[in-house]
Amino acid sequence: MSQTRLLDLVKTQCRIFSLNFNPQRLRLGNKVLRQRLRGPALASWYPKQVVSFQDLQNTYKPLGLTTFDEAEDDREEAIQIAKLRGKGRPKKKRTAAESRSAKKKK
Amino acid sequence: MSKVASLFHPKRLNLSGFTNIRVIRDNNKRMAVEQNEPERQALRYMIRNTSLPGRVRAQAQLQLSQMHAYTRPTQVKNRCVASGHARSVIRDFRLNRYQFRMQALAGHLPGVKKASW
Repeated sequence: MSQTRLLDLVKTQCRIFSLNFNPQRLRLGNKVLRQRLRGPALASWYPKQVVSFQDLQNTYKPLGLTTFDEAEDDREEAIQIAKLRGKGRPKKKRTAAESRSAKKKK
Repeated sequence: MSKVASLFHPKRLNLSGFTNIRVIRDNNKRMAVEQNEPERQALRYMIRNTSLPGRVRAQAQLQLSQMHAYTRPTQVKNRCVASGHARSVIRDFRLNRYQFRMQALAGHLPGVKKASW
């Protein structure tokens, strides 16, 4: 078979199988395009939370049912105790001047 | 692009199972990698394509190098799903060797049996 005939064959083959026809063997970077995306596999490593307790609360509140979130209750109680002991969080500084004056007090 | 990692914090944490800051951070990286993968691959293609003008390729190189570190897939580390440990994690079970042993002995892993001969 002649050289041109072979080239034509390869060209047709590339067209049918949607490959890149590159007889000069130039570096066109098509190997990057051929790679599969790894993102979805990487992103699904950790188990995802489908529904949270808050979602349940939000769905049952309109029905007039009461819910009790023990963990949230414990958390709020601990915050109250900390506040009574004077160990609560400091007040949020809203302006630059406030935060500067807070630093100076030290 | 700013280099602040807090850009990648989700509004609401949607992880179940064991979470600590390292697991959350790794998860943030995974999300960033997934989101930015097409862009990174496009830039990588431009850089490797010798038929493009040199200026375009150099610009693509610059742009790729200036993307945030969290969008880089090499930043991702497989951590244990049950304990957050990053060492000797068995990929098939996504568990650390110790967690794997504990769960296997407890019978939580179907088909896993302690060998004895």
